[in-house]
Amino acid sequence: MRSQRADREDVAVDPDETGLLTRAAAGGDAAAWQGLVERFSGLVWSVTRRYRLGAADAADVFQTTWLRLAEHIGRIENPEYVGAWLATTARHESLRAVQAATRILPTDDAAILDHSHTDDYSPELAVLDAEQAVLDSDRAARLWCAFHQLSGRCQELLAVLMASPPPNYLEVAEALDMPVGSIGPTRARCLQRLRERLMSQQPDVVWHSPGNE
Amino acid sequence: MHDEPDDTELEEELRRVAALLNPVPGVLLQAAVEAFTWRTVDEDLAELVFDSLVDHQAALVRGSQDRRLLSFHTGDVSIEIEVTRTGRSRALIGQLGPPQPASVEIRHRTGLVTLESDALGRFSADSLRAGPISLRCRSGPVADGPAVVTDWVSI
Repeated sequence: MRSQRADREDVAVDPDETGLLTRAAAGGDAAAWQGLVERFSGLVWSVTRRYRLGAADAADVFQTTWLRLAEHIGRIENPEYVGAWLATTARHESLRAVQAATRILPTDDAAILDHSHTDDYSPELAVLDAEQAVLDSDRAARLWCAFHQLSGRCQELLAVLMASPPPNYLEVAEALDMPVGSIGPTRARCLQRLRERLMSQQPDVVWHSPGNE
Repeated sequence: MHDEPDDTELEEELRRVAALLNPVPGVLLQAAVEAFTWRTVDEDLAELVFDSLVDHQAALVRGSQDRRLLSFHTGDVSIEIEVTRTGRSRALIGQLGPPQPASVEIRHRTGLVTLESDALGRFSADSLRAGPISLRCRSGPVADGPAVVTDWVSI
């Protein structure tokens, strides 16, 4: 996991490195391909999770996206933006899967975007299993709960922003099909809402991030 | 882009929780790594140019939710397939254009299914599992023509 920085351009993946990995993979370098997988799997997964797909469909979309890249990698116009290419492809493939399942997705409905019912693994259980992790499990559960109480738009944006490693704004824009310029302000507003939700759950707890100091 | 330090911290904390509660399944990471082994180098790539699932006009005309028409194109070669769904099983009828005999490989995550088209470039397969596929076609009477692969698509 990357260390925390104040400036997003420092935490987000570096386009120059991405370009090098993409060109190397296009030339047949399997290690470079693996580097791309490590760099962008979290982003692709976060996109598939937006669409309330069942486990099998989400897995199909994820795999199709990477297989598609394997055939296209030598033809990508801007190798440094392969993350954005993957995000766009994952979004389009997710929409196909939604169509195939003939599910309608009203994206402004927070209740429907609550993904918890599609997870086989409950957050509570996962937190219990992670006792050894450097993570306050009660705090994590409350944060996850507060996140799922946000509006659908905020959940969508934050779900993509919190992919690991952090995507850059261009990749986020492609994942969500929204203008790059609106991401910063919307993110600030959504994080503020999240903070308010947390405060309203436990008004006596002073805000701090565990494990940062 | 300026950023409030508190916002960065909160986003990072969300990232840690999400990585814990909603990680990319390991089996999918492995599949993404292995996707590279399907890469072809010399084949022409026939891109997906039509999909009745997302082309609403066509979907309305065809009027069936269980049949899906996909069209791939490169240069003067086209490959059209119609996919029929039954649960997680898929049947496929294909047409190579221009019509000609060809060897057709259905590339699938569990391996390859090899078919021969008829003299008019028609082929079919059934009992395929749902999931990503790509076709690799080599035309000519003894399959010695140029090879074409299609975009991967989940059926």
